[in-house]
Amino acid sequence: MDRTDHGAAGTVGEGGALVSAFVEARDVVLSFGETPALRGASLAVQRGEIVAIMGPSGSGKSTLLHCLAGILVPGSGEIWFDGQRVDALGETRRSTLRRDRFGFVFQFGQLVPELTAEENVALPLLLGGVRRGPALGRARTWFDRLDLKGLEGRRSGELSGGQAQRVALARAMVSEPEVLFADEPTGSLDSLTGEQVMNLLVDSAREQGTTVVLVTHEPRVAAYADREAMVRDGRVTVPAVEPVAS
Amino acid sequence: MSVPLTLLGLLEREPSHGYDLKRDYDTYFGRGRPLPFGQVYATLGRLARDGKVVMGEVGPGEGPDRKRYVITELGATEVRTWLSEPVEPEPHLQTVLFAKVVLTLMLGRPAEEYLDLQRAAHLRRMRELTEIKRGDSLVDGLLADHGLFHLEADLRWIELTTARLEQLAKAVRS
Amino acid sequence: MIRFGLRLALASGREAATRLVTIALAVTLGVGLLLAVLAGINAVFSQNARYAWLNSGVQSQQQAPSTKDSAWWLVRGDYFEGQNVGRVDVAVTGPDSPVPPGIPALPGPGEYYASPALATLLAQRPADMLADRFPGHQVGTIGDSALPAPNSLLIIVGHTPAKLSGLPGAQRIDRIATAPPQDCISCYVGIGAAGIELILSVVAAALLFPVLIFIGAATRLSAARREQRFAAMRLVGATPRQVTVVAAVESTVAAIIGTAMGFGLFAVLRHPLAAIPFTGAPFFTADLSLNIVDILGVALGVPLGAAIAARLALRRVQISPLGVTRRVTPRQPRPYRLIPLALGLGELAWFIDHPRPQTGTGQVAVFLPGLLVTMAGLVIAGPWLTMVGARLLARRSGRPAALIASRRLADNPKVAFRAISGVVLGLFVTTTATAVITSIEAHRGARHDNSLASTAMSAEFWPEHNSPYADQTSVPGTVLDQLRSVPGVRSVTVVRRNDAAFAPVQRSAPVGAPGPGVDPGPPLEVGLVLCADLALDASLGRCADGATVAGVPAAFQGWEMPSGPGTVFAAAAVGADQLAHLPVLSVVANTDGSSATLERVRTVLELAYPNATGTPSTQDDVRTDQTTTMAQWEQLANVVILASLPIAGCSLAVSVAGGLSERKRPFSLLRLTGVPLRVLRRVVALESAVPLLAVAVVAIGTGLLAAHLFLRAQLHYNLHAPGGGYYAIVAIGLVASLAIIASTLPLLERITGPETARND
Repeated sequence: MDRTDHGAAGTVGEGGALVSAFVEARDVVLSFGETPALRGASLAVQRGEIVAIMGPSGSGKSTLLHCLAGILVPGSGEIWFDGQRVDALGETRRSTLRRDRFGFVFQFGQLVPELTAEENVALPLLLGGVRRGPALGRARTWFDRLDLKGLEGRRSGELSGGQAQRVALARAMVSEPEVLFADEPTGSLDSLTGEQVMNLLVDSAREQGTTVVLVTHEPRVAAYADREAMVRDGRVTVPAVEPVAS
Repeated sequence: MSVPLTLLGLLEREPSHGYDLKRDYDTYFGRGRPLPFGQVYATLGRLARDGKVVMGEVGPGEGPDRKRYVITELGATEVRTWLSEPVEPEPHLQTVLFAKVVLTLMLGRPAEEYLDLQRAAHLRRMRELTEIKRGDSLVDGLLADHGLFHLEADLRWIELTTARLEQLAKAVRS
Repeated sequence: MIRFGLRLALASGREAATRLVTIALAVTLGVGLLLAVLAGINAVFSQNARYAWLNSGVQSQQQAPSTKDSAWWLVRGDYFEGQNVGRVDVAVTGPDSPVPPGIPALPGPGEYYASPALATLLAQRPADMLADRFPGHQVGTIGDSALPAPNSLLIIVGHTPAKLSGLPGAQRIDRIATAPPQDCISCYVGIGAAGIELILSVVAAALLFPVLIFIGAATRLSAARREQRFAAMRLVGATPRQVTVVAAVESTVAAIIGTAMGFGLFAVLRHPLAAIPFTGAPFFTADLSLNIVDILGVALGVPLGAAIAARLALRRVQISPLGVTRRVTPRQPRPYRLIPLALGLGELAWFIDHPRPQTGTGQVAVFLPGLLVTMAGLVIAGPWLTMVGARLLARRSGRPAALIASRRLADNPKVAFRAISGVVLGLFVTTTATAVITSIEAHRGARHDNSLASTAMSAEFWPEHNSPYADQTSVPGTVLDQLRSVPGVRSVTVVRRNDAAFAPVQRSAPVGAPGPGVDPGPPLEVGLVLCADLALDASLGRCADGATVAGVPAAFQGWEMPSGPGTVFAAAAVGADQLAHLPVLSVVANTDGSSATLERVRTVLELAYPNATGTPSTQDDVRTDQTTTMAQWEQLANVVILASLPIAGCSLAVSVAGGLSERKRPFSLLRLTGVPLRVLRRVVALESAVPLLAVAVVAIGTGLLAAHLFLRAQLHYNLHAPGGGYYAIVAIGLVASLAIIASTLPLLERITGPETARND
């Protein structure tokens, strides 16, 4: 039984060719002051995969996601996306990356309270310079798809938890991102609502070929992913790929 | 609950008399349902026939129940294989999981790796069930949910046990 | 991005609108204040420029092109009913004589031009009180361009050259001075413009302090919600620059609205402000105007400043996409925070024993900055004092409310102090101003039983002043008769000069140790009087027993010393018959004190001695000049007090309202864990009241100390306890502050309901 201690820089794909990962962390070390959060974590995610990052609380899984998404810069190690180093980019370039090529669904605090739901969904487009009219138009198409019809004009305080998460999902998908980063997206929802959100998330991602990096401590949420990676004490363990025959 | 394999595992620890084996089994794995002597000896007999155990030297003046059973190479290999392989994820296998973890600890083997493997297997099964759930049949989906909840319960236990392994090891080996 | 920022600034719901309006109001106050000060400075200079022509007689003036013909020119001062009257006597020598502004041509003999205020008085008052002093008739009014103030009393009287040229002090001029007095060293008519400019600037800074605190408090409203909003934007990919732009737009919009309203506020206040005589004379409303630099500077500068301030504030905070998650307990304030306060007080104390600058401007340049440093020192030391107060509170009471409150205060004293910093400054300023003024009045105001100051008018002929009448040995009988016939005159006494020192001549000394440069006062026993004459009016004093001639001051009054019926004058070693050959020093008419009598007496004396170097006056009249400076300071102090306390109250209210929403979550959680509501109310009360009272005590104490230091250094006075009005104001201020705090307590129940503790 073979087991790797980290997702290697490249995995052997069909025909034995080395396939380089789409999103990757290599030996990332990051500390908050004195407290180390990541101690050499490595993870490789292929294009189009849905990967769940699991682990006990305090293990560093959210921190790993923040590093992959360009929100935090590691103390040492490398973050790669689509062939370029993310951690070496400046704050502005990383912000632009998040705006144009990534999408985010977090557990709380991600909608701007003063904007309406449709403005929130259109926000990445507006920040990118798209004019208000076309941006809102694109935003509105997502309201139907995610069963949010009629809620366009509501403020975030007037939405239920499930509605707010679907609005966040719409916002994440509106710019047609290449990677969707989700951190406990169903954490504050009940089982049924959570399922609803996960179904929509996976459906939308599969439809558009979006890669998904999903942090969760719940196995039933992780079960929506194609594979999982465990984070413990700042390091990543990935179960080896099982041979096809059984 | 695989009695033969459990007994084999106990034997790998050290050769024992039948009486001692039953006592140990009842202590760790019996849970209010002691193993009948007959079953013990019958199982041991089958194991011996399969070449997984042999009977050791009988001391003078000892009857059949004073025979000591020793595990063979074959038996040891079987135990090793059994312990290192995950169980097929099914809803009601707490007892098997538990036995395997305890035995692993008793034998001084790293239980963490086993638990990791078991978790990965569980998650694989959960993924399969989730695909079923996202399908069209509502009944199938309900059944899948049921399985998912049980598997999740197992996983919670695995998490908790992983956190408590050191304590458990001390208790078991004393 | 700017449009997005506008949308967020203007249409974000009630909370954001409240914040916008509050900031705009605060900016309105600040801009109004700033414009008033700028206009005030402009007004001071415009007013001063209108004094220029009065200095035409000063030789060193650089001035307008000369005219072919010259004119005779003499500027003198007069008094009327407690006001100064400016009198210019002119004589034309030819058709092309220099003409001052405001009149079409110089008046000929028997003509005069009067200012509108004086013209009204001339018409309304009986001739023997005023009009008789000026020979001739009025031919016109002096225009505004020559009047320093709308209520100036000015008259330009025409004479023949022959007559005017014989008067002492008359000069020939061939041009009218146009240089403003501050540019001319020996010009004596005008106001200390540079000094006033400095005072106004520093007062503005002192008032802008509380306004800036107010603006800061308003800006901090909804801080947590705004942080969350910016974090959400950053998560979605807004660059730090985009976030800065949005924040700057919000601030700038509020600032633009506030600036526009500030201009409106200034326009409304212009007229009432002009009436306040900062320089001793009110302004024309038109004087309080802004030039284009002022307008553009404020209209563009304030919004620009707001944008820059927003930018700098964000720079310190560094909004990350994850919000401000890990809040470390901020560092404790250290005792070194007391240093600026000590420096400011020390600077004031330094000048008690060391010489201070001679000019008024220099003194202002030295003292007011010291006061400002002290004010800044109070604000800097505030958090440390709050922390000390919190520790005392913790030690003294073991009850839960006090423990929670003192712990919260000790954890974050800066935030707790911020809310009350405006009130603290207001208290300090009020205390200092009131204490200084009360003490000065206590010293100067005491007349020491000098009842003669307002009743005895004297015409004095001093040889030291080159008086043309200094050698006369008699007063014409007609003069004495005229004086005695004025109703209300009690006595008319002639005082002779004590040249041969028949009585020892001493100088009187003012009460309290004099410093260098303080006028020691008129000499005593410089005159001699017949005791028989003195006996006719007991209110002047009396001779020593057995004396026939006594040594007296020129007007029977010493400086800052008791005078009047109780005074005993020592005998002089000269016989009554010798007295008649001595030159006359003064003619003293003691009256009933009514202005009608006094002005009639003055008119008679002026007509009797038209060439005199000084004006007949009472001691009160003379004092008027000295108290003008005092009045200026008082006016400014009143304005500062009236303005700073309400501003402080506003910033307290805003901070308290803001603090309320900050308390929502932690207090809800406390309530859920079983802490009763009344304990929470006590916590809020203690959290707010303890810093307020602790620092208020220090502020008042510092204010009194600063006042005492200023008085000792500048005037060598000691501090007098302020009067009841001060205590009333302080009490009202503190009670109002506590009331504002208390008004939020009922809201506590509503906002800490269980729904706010939801995890959403």
